[in-house]
Amino acid sequence: METIRHKVARMAVRNGWRTIGVALLISLVFGYGLFRVEARTIFSDLFPRTHPFVQAYIDHPNFGNPLTVTIMVKRTDGQDIYSAETMAKINAISRDIDLVPGVDHDQIVSIATAKARYTTLTADGIYSNPIMDDTPPTTPKELAEIRRRVGESPFARTFLVSADGTAALINATFIERLVDYGTVFDQVQALVKKHSDAQHEIHVAGWPTLTGWVYHFGGDTVKIFAVTLGLMFLCLLLVMRNTAGVLTPVIVSTISAIWGFGFVGWIGHPVEPLLMVVPLLLIARSFSHSVQAAERYYELLREYGDKRKAAELSLAVMVAPGTLGIFTDACGLLLVGLAPIPAMERFALFTGFWALMLVPTSVILTPVLLSLLPAPKNLDKLVGSSKDAGIVHRLLEVVLGNLGRLSTGRLAKLSAIGFAVVAVLALGLMTKIQVGNPVEGSNLLREDSAFNTAVRDINAHFPGVMSLEVIFEGKEGRIVRQADTLIAMRALQRCLERQPHPPTATLSFADYAPEANRLFNGGNPKWMPLDRDDAAVSAAANALMMGTSPKAFLHVADFEQKNATVSLWYPNNKQATVDAALADARQCIAAVGPEHDTFRIRLASGSIALQQSINDTVDTYQWYILAGLNLIIGIGCSIAYRSVAAALVLLVPVNLANALLTAYMVLMGMGLDVNSLPILAIGIGVGIDYGIYMVSRICEEYRDAKHMGDAITAALLTCGKAILFTALLMTIGILPWYVLSELKFLSDMGLLLIVVMTINMILALLLVPLLLYLFRPRFVSAEHHALSESLDDSLVPRPATAPSGL
Amino acid sequence: MHIRKYDFDFARRAFLGKAGALAGAGILTPLWPLIARAGDITKAYPEELLSIEAYTKGKIKTGDVITADNVETVKDLLTPIAYKEVKEMGRRIRIVPTTTDITRLFPADYLEATLRNNGKAKLDADGNVVTADGQPWIGGNPFPNAQTGIEAFANITMSWGRHNNALYAIRDWDIGPDGEIGYQYDFAWVEENTIGRVGVESPYLAGHEDKLRYQTVLFTGPNDVKGTAYLSTWYADQRKFPDLVGYIPAFKRVRKFPTNQRFEPLVAGITVYLSDAWAAGDPMLTWGNFKLIERRPMLAAVSDNWHPEHPNWEPPVHGGPAGKTFSETAMELCPEVLIVEAEPVGYPRAPVGKKRVFIDARNMIYIGCHTYDRRGELFKSFEPAYSLYEKGPHRDMTGKHTTWTWTGVHSHDVQTNRMSRFNQVKSIVGGIASGRNIDGLYEKYMTAQAIRRLGA
Repeated sequence: METIRHKVARMAVRNGWRTIGVALLISLVFGYGLFRVEARTIFSDLFPRTHPFVQAYIDHPNFGNPLTVTIMVKRTDGQDIYSAETMAKINAISRDIDLVPGVDHDQIVSIATAKARYTTLTADGIYSNPIMDDTPPTTPKELAEIRRRVGESPFARTFLVSADGTAALINATFIERLVDYGTVFDQVQALVKKHSDAQHEIHVAGWPTLTGWVYHFGGDTVKIFAVTLGLMFLCLLLVMRNTAGVLTPVIVSTISAIWGFGFVGWIGHPVEPLLMVVPLLLIARSFSHSVQAAERYYELLREYGDKRKAAELSLAVMVAPGTLGIFTDACGLLLVGLAPIPAMERFALFTGFWALMLVPTSVILTPVLLSLLPAPKNLDKLVGSSKDAGIVHRLLEVVLGNLGRLSTGRLAKLSAIGFAVVAVLALGLMTKIQVGNPVEGSNLLREDSAFNTAVRDINAHFPGVMSLEVIFEGKEGRIVRQADTLIAMRALQRCLERQPHPPTATLSFADYAPEANRLFNGGNPKWMPLDRDDAAVSAAANALMMGTSPKAFLHVADFEQKNATVSLWYPNNKQATVDAALADARQCIAAVGPEHDTFRIRLASGSIALQQSINDTVDTYQWYILAGLNLIIGIGCSIAYRSVAAALVLLVPVNLANALLTAYMVLMGMGLDVNSLPILAIGIGVGIDYGIYMVSRICEEYRDAKHMGDAITAALLTCGKAILFTALLMTIGILPWYVLSELKFLSDMGLLLIVVMTINMILALLLVPLLLYLFRPRFVSAEHHALSESLDDSLVPRPATAPSGL
Repeated sequence: MHIRKYDFDFARRAFLGKAGALAGAGILTPLWPLIARAGDITKAYPEELLSIEAYTKGKIKTGDVITADNVETVKDLLTPIAYKEVKEMGRRIRIVPTTTDITRLFPADYLEATLRNNGKAKLDADGNVVTADGQPWIGGNPFPNAQTGIEAFANITMSWGRHNNALYAIRDWDIGPDGEIGYQYDFAWVEENTIGRVGVESPYLAGHEDKLRYQTVLFTGPNDVKGTAYLSTWYADQRKFPDLVGYIPAFKRVRKFPTNQRFEPLVAGITVYLSDAWAAGDPMLTWGNFKLIERRPMLAAVSDNWHPEHPNWEPPVHGGPAGKTFSETAMELCPEVLIVEAEPVGYPRAPVGKKRVFIDARNMIYIGCHTYDRRGELFKSFEPAYSLYEKGPHRDMTGKHTTWTWTGVHSHDVQTNRMSRFNQVKSIVGGIASGRNIDGLYEKYMTAQAIRRLGA
């Protein structure tokens, strides 16, 4: 009886050119979308939007200086910055950064700008003058005067000049609407190059710089893409050595890529450059599905000698396992979107759609194309018996034959014990996985990157660039002009500073107001304390704001002065430090009281809080994603094989692969973070493919052999070879990211994907057959299930040559 | 009869022809002899420069409202930022007839002094405006027929409000990028010219001849800034920075402030720098590289901008994300506007690279000012509106004459998209009312003792 898949196969192959025509027509439509594809990092989209810390950040984006570029000029020869040469550099950088597009001219602060002032009192008035005069100092007397002025400015001596006097900071804040991170990065790096010399190091930190580095290294993407595609093509060429076998995977992968990228172009989602490893993974998947189909086609072509019939039959038998494999790929990719991180959600939609498009392209188009292209002349070497095969194929057969012995016969029980031990060890190690993978700076970049080096160096000389912001959110009025606010701020800061692990520095509006009070009252320190009433606080705030813009205080209070923050800096952002900081902050907020008449105190924003939000999300959603994957893939496989046992046989290895990956991360000292979150889903979704192909082939072989051991050996020598080859292709597809990418995020993803896919491959070749051999589930011998690769005798012509005997 | 010589393109060709020579105002005939004879400019310009309808070939008529839908027609008549405001932010501009009677563009005494003293001003060796015999300036526009950039700047610097003294009761709204009001202030801007006085016996305030003016800003609301005041004393020598003292009531002390930091707002939230005031907020000679770069017709808010229908003269608002960003403004076709540039050569750390001021050739008042950052990108617009204070049955008087003064300003930082719009209103919190040529204003508002007393 002709089934639907046979009808589909017949229709597609017999109308080969029409099928190709339809595919090209669809490609034209999606191809138009290619012109609208935009690769762009939206930084705020890398954070989980439902997390309270991220919501605090969204509500108060200016606290924690996310749009500030911090430049540190550091003497490296043991001298301090009070030299004509260094002062000239600080002045030149402060002026030149004002020329960078998108900079807020009112928010450039260094000891060379008019914003950094020292205040003196004379008989006839108060003088709040810039620390540096209109031109940088050159004479010893002028340099000494600058040193004195810095000493008289509490803000400058804490936040603009390091305590040891060897480094100075220049902070420039950018306007979000106008900032172009690439341009900012290029121009600031030009300044770094221009002003660095034997005596001076220039370090640059801040979020715009981080994004600039991501864009900068994102430029390597084209190079890595080219290397990867070249390697995959070479590999294909070496193995196939025939036109059809090489051209077909290339054509179907190109078509699927056009559909995938065209889709995001049409829906207008920017492609996240940080996740570009996945499109290459999908191209590799497309290659591997196509190669699987091609392998089967060659077997049938050799057997029956008719291109069209071989294509029709291979499509009919491969469409079900191929579709199920792609279904699991798509599940894995789509379920990444469970994590409420906008970049991940977009990523899930883009790659999930692309994965689904592999059904019409890699699965259906492959045999159609093969039937239209010339038949290969090296069939015997590709799929023939050992004596006909090439050396690579013979080598593979030796390896696979030995693997077969481990899963069958007397060694099976020993192998099972071995797997049980490995599983127990992996599960044991798994419990020790740390959430969070902190480096001082950003985990997107390598620890020794210029950015992370800059963050470490700035942290070493100044309170730091990574802060925890405790938000004072106004309910009514300008809260920084109210006594209750400033009293609560001071109480909170004092409480935190008394904790066993205090912050290295704290800063709030409450630190500025008393100084204004002192100066306007004549300069005596006894005027520092403010009266505890709104009138006194408001007067101090007015004094502070006289002749300046609220922008000068945006780091501690918003433009309207209706919200404010207490900034806390810590020596590092390692998980233990962050946990202690958050615990202390919660305790002190409780002591001060979170709810007041005119404001509430909210935890938290700043880079430390945002880092924590990602870690919290990874910790929670990895389990949701894991459960979701097991459930959906379990149901899908149960239906396809009409057997729950089949689903279990497939899911056990991929979950064990996940456990082994986690154990590997523990052994390598890596933590779970946003870099590893997609790996979990992809590892299971994509990894299960190998098992599906393996199980389907064993079922088919069992139908002929009626002997589990023989069926497993035969499946390993045919399907196992294809699995090995496709795993190799996958590794080649991902390896360049690990080796060539300067972005740690991509490099980590590449490495983890290679590890998990390799583990999956080994388990598919060893554990899947072993489970079938030990438990001999009934579905293996069932005559009908959707995944059967068996051929219906009524549909096949008489063989042109003898069966291969597999 | 249509004279072909004065066809649609005539004015453009005429201005192009003048640009090289930078000739005086007027196209068909020199403007100022005409004004001196008849006070009417009609014969100085062709019809297309006196009628928006003729200029736009009927596409825009008097009474029409310029919106995003028709702004392209008058794009070349607007400043770049005004065009952007209409095109992108929902600003609307009502078109009114061109004023041809010159007496409606000046305070009467100032016009009389301008005519009387025409040709008596010169720039001395230092660049300051003096009379032919080297005395301080004696009143009116020193260079009504300005031929150079610095002469044009002298006209807007020597007398800001064109009265001997004035008290402007000002209500200010500071609007954020979200279109909502972030700050609102009531303050009095008080100025007293000490030289170049008009309509009085002596052009000089006795004993203050070395000064140009005194000027006080006194905040009366909201409560947290009430009584805060600044007093600025300008010297006649435009190379010198003014003295600046300030007073905050809570501290009960008058304090002296440095005044070379002029690119900062006076109070939180306002986009106006000291440097922006009247497009000439700094002593003239602290800027340099003055250039008269172009003359052309423009739309400007120089008439019909008084709103007596509101009890406190506050105009209706519209536009922006919350419908609050712009005051209603009427503009007319100004037949000839001088576009002059200057650079802040005396301010090595200024965030501003240059300013471009648009000056109406008829009365030499600025109708707009754009500042550019050091990269040459547009930074801020400071756009005033003026009016003769008469409308229907309503009339406000300055002495025996109908008041002519400014009515409002849009100060727009286009980079951060923050707008300060403020208007001269009838009175502000604290009961201070607008007025001009008021006896005793100096003693009441413009001494250190006065600002201390006012803040008490």
